[in-house]
Amino acid sequence: MIQGEHIQLEELELFALGALSEDEAAALQAHLSGCEECATKLAQARGSAALLGFATEQGRPAGTVKAELMARIRANREAERRYAWPSKMEAPQGGGSTTKADTRRSWWNWVLVPAAVALALVSFALSWQNRRIATELEKERKTAESMIRDRQQVEKMVGVLAAADTVTVKLTGTRDEGNANGLVKFNAKAGIVMYAAELPPLPADKSYQMWLVPASGTPISAGLLGPGGHAWGNMWTGEVPANTQAKAFAVTIEPVGGMAQPTGPKVLLGAT
Amino acid sequence: MTPQGTTGETTTDWSLLARIGQRDEEALSALYDRYSGLVFSEAKRILRDTGAAEEILQDLFYQVWRTSARFDPAKGSLAGWLLVAARNRAISKLRRKSGISEELDENGVTLSVDVELHAAQNLLLDKVKAVMGSLPENQREALECAYFEGMSHTEIAQKTGQPLGTVKTRIRSAMEALKKVLS
Repeated sequence: MIQGEHIQLEELELFALGALSEDEAAALQAHLSGCEECATKLAQARGSAALLGFATEQGRPAGTVKAELMARIRANREAERRYAWPSKMEAPQGGGSTTKADTRRSWWNWVLVPAAVALALVSFALSWQNRRIATELEKERKTAESMIRDRQQVEKMVGVLAAADTVTVKLTGTRDEGNANGLVKFNAKAGIVMYAAELPPLPADKSYQMWLVPASGTPISAGLLGPGGHAWGNMWTGEVPANTQAKAFAVTIEPVGGMAQPTGPKVLLGAT
Repeated sequence: MTPQGTTGETTTDWSLLARIGQRDEEALSALYDRYSGLVFSEAKRILRDTGAAEEILQDLFYQVWRTSARFDPAKGSLAGWLLVAARNRAISKLRRKSGISEELDENGVTLSVDVELHAAQNLLLDKVKAVMGSLPENQREALECAYFEGMSHTEIAQKTGQPLGTVKTRIRSAMEALKKVLS
């Protein structure tokens, strides 16, 4: 293949045609990279091969191809113009001579460094704003949930108070703790509403618990009057199984969170 | 169909390239008008796909626009480079090879005939076609398999069932005949 120090023209022509195997082509490339004489002959071989481009039936591309090409070129020119070095501004001065590559890098630095700083600032601002918005959204969500709960509470109370078959049970204090009293509005289908007044304050580990005493069986918890209970001002709602027949209502002092059955002293009591 | 027209054909490729380097769109337009038919036809011959050939054509002239300053007329012919570059790109697409990058100033192509005039192109088209038509079938087939299908001599040997040496001889003989066009 390589005769003496140089590649034979025939081999270069096969190379120019792309007809050599990859290994053969690689061997030629290695020689060509350091041999100007063979590189010149390769240019001639490529010219000979290019003649085959004249062995084709001639056609014309669509007119839109040129139009698109010119549009790309104008876009390219616009980009060049937009990012051209400011005419009244000099490039940053460095020591020694500056290569073309250095000049390109400096030019890009001029554009990219401020852009990177601006992006970092924008990113920080957006991050801070995101955190602030997330906090506000969480606050709004909690407010909305609270409003929904209040609305459901009021609707339930209205349902109980407005029902024609709701009964009223007056509760009176059972201990010497002032004038504690209460009122229960009970509807077997709609639920319980209790109004409690002048109940003495409890230690932090205690809570008032409302009970429904059914016609038969053990008392049924109707909810807490304190932390964990459902209140609207001094009015509380209670939950008991539907269509439970009530014989009496009572309020006891129980540990916070309530008990399954009454364990503490009775504070209020009233029979239906 | 052959390239027609003579408008603006007195400007050399090198002059046009110099103007392209100064961002003269009309110069690129003139160069496109001069060679787009040849480049497109060659790419289409290889790919047999008009859209793909047009894509190569456009990309190639866009590269000329962007890298014209690197072209050294001492290293060869722009027309030759366009044809070789279009062929390489089309073969890459055809054989799904990784892209071949042709730098204007690195891969010189010496086309020892002036084809800047459409009339010259028409003359060369006729001559080359005549030579190809006169080649023995097996020589023409070997040459076309290499240039238009990107097949290595080993692949051509497998396809034709001929020894590798025979394939090489056929290609060389065909190339010798082709080069006589230029003499």
